[in-house]
Amino acid sequence: MTRLINNDYCIALECKDLQANAMSVDCTGTYALLAGRRCIALRNLDEEYENVFKFPRTSKYDVGAAEWNPTAHNKQICAISTNERLEILNWREETLSVSHSIRAHTRAISGLNWHRFDPNIIATSSVDTFVNVWDIRDSRRPTLSLANVAESSQVRWNRISQHLIATAHDGDIKIWDQRKGSYPLQYIAAHLAKIYGLDWSPHIENQIASASQDHSVKFFDTSNPRKPDFVLSTGSPVWRARYTPFGNGMITVVVPQIRRGSENSFLLWNISNRAAPMHTFVGHRDVVLEFQWRPSRPDDSYLQLVTWSKDQTLLVWKIEPFLQKLCGYEPDDLSIYDDNSSIGGIDEAASTVSLKRIQPLQQEFSLLNVHIPNLEVKNMDSITRTVTATCKINTVITHVKVIFPNAYPLGVPPAFQVMPGSNINDSIGSQLLHTLNHLAIQRVSKNRTCLEPCLRQMVTTLEQLLVDIDSDRSFERVYVEPTVSAEGYNDAYIPFPRTSGVKFCSVNILVCFGRPLLTRRLGNKNDSGTPRALSALEGILAKRSTDQMTVSAYYFQRQKQRSRSKHSLSKASKAMVHIYDATNLFLINRQLAEDYILYGDVATICKHNAAAAAVAGRRDLVQAWILIEITLAQRLVDDDGDWAGHPCGDNLLISLINHYASQADLQMAAMLCCIYGKQQENSLRKASLKSILSPMPGVSPYHTIPPADVVADGWVLPLLKSTRSTSLDNLRAEEIVVATIPPKIPYVALYEYYKMAYAETLHRWTLLYNRAEVMKFMAIQPEPYKGAEFIPDCQICQTPIKHSVCTSCRRLPFHCIICNTAARGSVNCCVICGHGGHTDHLQMWFERKSMCALCGCNCLFETTYTVGS
Amino acid sequence: MVSIINSVDTGHEDMIHDAEVDYYGLRLATCSSDNSVKVYDIRNGASALLDDLKGHFGPVWQIAWSHPKFGNLLASCSYDRRVIIWKETNRKWAKYYEYTNHDSSVNSVQFAPAEFGLILACGSSDGSISVLTFTPETNSWDAKKIQNAHAIGCNSVSWAPATTPLFNGNENEQQPLVKRLVSGGCDNLVKIWKEAGDQWVEESKLEVHSDWVRDVAWAPSVGIHRHTIASCSQDRRVVIWTSNDCVTWNSTILHLFDDVVWNVSWSLNGNILAVSGGDNRISLWSQNAEGTWQCISDVAKGQGHINN
Repeated sequence: MTRLINNDYCIALECKDLQANAMSVDCTGTYALLAGRRCIALRNLDEEYENVFKFPRTSKYDVGAAEWNPTAHNKQICAISTNERLEILNWREETLSVSHSIRAHTRAISGLNWHRFDPNIIATSSVDTFVNVWDIRDSRRPTLSLANVAESSQVRWNRISQHLIATAHDGDIKIWDQRKGSYPLQYIAAHLAKIYGLDWSPHIENQIASASQDHSVKFFDTSNPRKPDFVLSTGSPVWRARYTPFGNGMITVVVPQIRRGSENSFLLWNISNRAAPMHTFVGHRDVVLEFQWRPSRPDDSYLQLVTWSKDQTLLVWKIEPFLQKLCGYEPDDLSIYDDNSSIGGIDEAASTVSLKRIQPLQQEFSLLNVHIPNLEVKNMDSITRTVTATCKINTVITHVKVIFPNAYPLGVPPAFQVMPGSNINDSIGSQLLHTLNHLAIQRVSKNRTCLEPCLRQMVTTLEQLLVDIDSDRSFERVYVEPTVSAEGYNDAYIPFPRTSGVKFCSVNILVCFGRPLLTRRLGNKNDSGTPRALSALEGILAKRSTDQMTVSAYYFQRQKQRSRSKHSLSKASKAMVHIYDATNLFLINRQLAEDYILYGDVATICKHNAAAAAVAGRRDLVQAWILIEITLAQRLVDDDGDWAGHPCGDNLLISLINHYASQADLQMAAMLCCIYGKQQENSLRKASLKSILSPMPGVSPYHTIPPADVVADGWVLPLLKSTRSTSLDNLRAEEIVVATIPPKIPYVALYEYYKMAYAETLHRWTLLYNRAEVMKFMAIQPEPYKGAEFIPDCQICQTPIKHSVCTSCRRLPFHCIICNTAARGSVNCCVICGHGGHTDHLQMWFERKSMCALCGCNCLFETTYTVGS
Repeated sequence: MVSIINSVDTGHEDMIHDAEVDYYGLRLATCSSDNSVKVYDIRNGASALLDDLKGHFGPVWQIAWSHPKFGNLLASCSYDRRVIIWKETNRKWAKYYEYTNHDSSVNSVQFAPAEFGLILACGSSDGSISVLTFTPETNSWDAKKIQNAHAIGCNSVSWAPATTPLFNGNENEQQPLVKRLVSGGCDNLVKIWKEAGDQWVEESKLEVHSDWVRDVAWAPSVGIHRHTIASCSQDRRVVIWTSNDCVTWNSTILHLFDDVVWNVSWSLNGNILAVSGGDNRISLWSQNAEGTWQCISDVAKGQGHINN
């Protein structure tokens, strides 16, 4: 018939000078009428050549709508609207004459629709708010005038019932019965935004679909229209949504003014599977202004769709049986297409039906954009169903063969092979195939074709792999850049990212972060909760044809749409971290930590600490401190009492420590442990003094130093050592206490633990002095100093010296730079220049100067910088 | 009970996945899907950006501060299969070490208690756990890998405190410190690992969760007379595990939450557990005198107040 560009569609007419914005196909499917301001053109679709009849118009108004009469009786009649007038054109003997010109409304006509069954009835809608029904045999006045408040944008007769008529008014739909025009049967508040198109279902009398600015098509049951039966979300404002004559299909086009970029959103949907469009018609270079089904022709096996686009081309699309099948259409003779599973029959049937069967593949081949950088597509053979592509990146050449099974793309992915002649190594090859297979499976699982995405992915993957090889060849390992769009094969096992969290940090800080309150999760309402794996993102977002599969897209999808119109969601709110002070959750108090003291005698300590607790408002602690003061002070007075066994002696202290430990008041527990330690020390000193004096050593009941690994309530601290760094060493305590039965002092190892934990808390608070005080009571030796040490070399014999006198030449090696004499005792020196001397001399010097006395070194500054940073 | 002291607008271009304050409480590090790690100075309520660390090529899942005695080190792990240890010198952060020996996303990093030295554990979706040990003498990192720690993937690792109390009866033996790890993974298991010689061996396998374990946290055992581990899972439960000997463990179900639980964190004293999850809510839990766990607060995210 007409010029064949590709198997998908053919161009029926390409005419730049028409400037038509209305199109209609007559009921026989022979003529397409195109109407513009300057002329009306008729194209005979049956003829091969661009045989066009053009009839100039002399009107200053554009044509708003055009429609052929759908009945065979008046098949030569076409109605067009131009501003407020309705013109009835008569096509007879290759001439077009205006039979009527009715001033139908007082303002512009927005839509018209012929009655489906009565050849003389036409309805018009207008912005003057009226919807008029005309009988063209008597055109003086409308037979029916439906009055409304809001302007009418569309009018559609029901396709099954001859009385029902639907009109659209802004976001509302009214359903009328033409026998009772005084008020509508139904008033449906369908959309919040303007309705552009209405269409009655060809199969169900009560179903109507409305296309709206709000990016959706809603389906209403007019007998029960309180809420839509279902909604189709298209992602862009819908200009027209019309049912397909087969199956459950629906075709949508985007509002012409809204079009962005190259996407013209000319989509075929299956209304029983509304997640994603079944097919995108690719061919028009601009938006589709009007489309109409061409009534089926007896000599043509395909259904045809005629479209008129802003690019001034009229296309006739053949609707493949597989597309019809995707829309739920089950033709009786489907068996010849449904051969995917019938293994035996393929070869026999191939000769007859092969042409029909390879259509999808041929279509894909012809649509393939072969201009992919670094890639050459060599053989596209739709008979053997293979494609060979060669990717060249620098010197690396990769040949890949793609083999398409018969069932492709309906759930069956093609097979990829790296062909001989490629100079990539096996690991890259396998990585590449892995990625390609993964992508292909993703696409075909939604019955989408995958050749072009796979070829593009192949180039990017290879580029990435090779770059990595170049950059870290030394590692000899392959690393795939996991781009977000082409996620790795094992995302199914990567946990879904946390988007909220909480952490206790330092001593009393609680760090929280989370999603802004606005966010809502995507997915169905009956969803069982947050998905577990990262791969879930793909599943959910792919359906919504989101460009990016990121976690934030998952949470922000809904906001994005809303924010486009209103305020945009600020990026900042995505990434707030809140830091809480959780001090009040704990009994450890920083103020107390600063104020508590541990030096001096027990009574002084207790008094001071009780006062500190009072200031901090911890009255319970005040009592505890006073209690300890009383019992311990009493002990000092009464030397000889056996306090270890006394109810107010050690047992009291121990039970206090236990109490605070169980309350998780580590601070008080550790402080009491220190007091306890101090007390033990005192009594031990006393006892040892006594035992030195006494002629009977070894019977001291005061030996309180436990063996190394004391088991206390099941606690063992393996790191405990039996050494104590107190004055006990001088008293040679080991000799004094011989063979005594050590009284059972429980919990000692645990006490070490309390003190250590408290010391760490103080360290985190950088209360280093207070920490040192606590550490004095530790049985554990602090770690030997591991940092930098200043060791001068002897100036005479050049050996490193650690003492004030050189071990080899027995002289004083270090000279004070101020008094120039050998220095011993308290000396200081600069770490940078090494000069120094007597501490008091240096102090005097640096009170006035900042520079070294000997060289130009800025000692004070340098030292601060090195040590302080 | 909890008062807000600072709100840091991190300026990340995408979702945050982890945030942690350093040992002294002076600096905040955050990591995000925008592939970056940011460090903020938060002293005195300020929130000054100190550095923006770019080196990952995928979303960064978790970060960890080291003990300051090893310098200012920050470890981060990412979807790009790398672990990077960053070091601050003269207020500038730079890559200190990069570990690339995982075959899939690295989901968790944590520094060992300082007593053990500078050691980092990493859990990855390739199912393995890496233990990276720094040897100051040779100035080098040594990696040990627990292959197949969790069948499908490891989601979280946590170290046992260094002062691990032992209850095995051999009180008088001077025992060296034992390094232990707990890990949770996609095989729904929580596993306890112990270093024996130069090998890591599985000590116990804890089975209660019915879905992926998302986070594990070994409690600092100060003042608590036994080992405690918290684990949370996709099955919406948080389980508290207790043991006296690291061999037999008893489980208590803390709570069944409304949504997936992602995060458990113990306070320094080990007496309060913070829980957060997919429902964007935070709750704090502590044990009452009878030993039952109670929710003591509920911080509604973003609002910053507590409903008690």
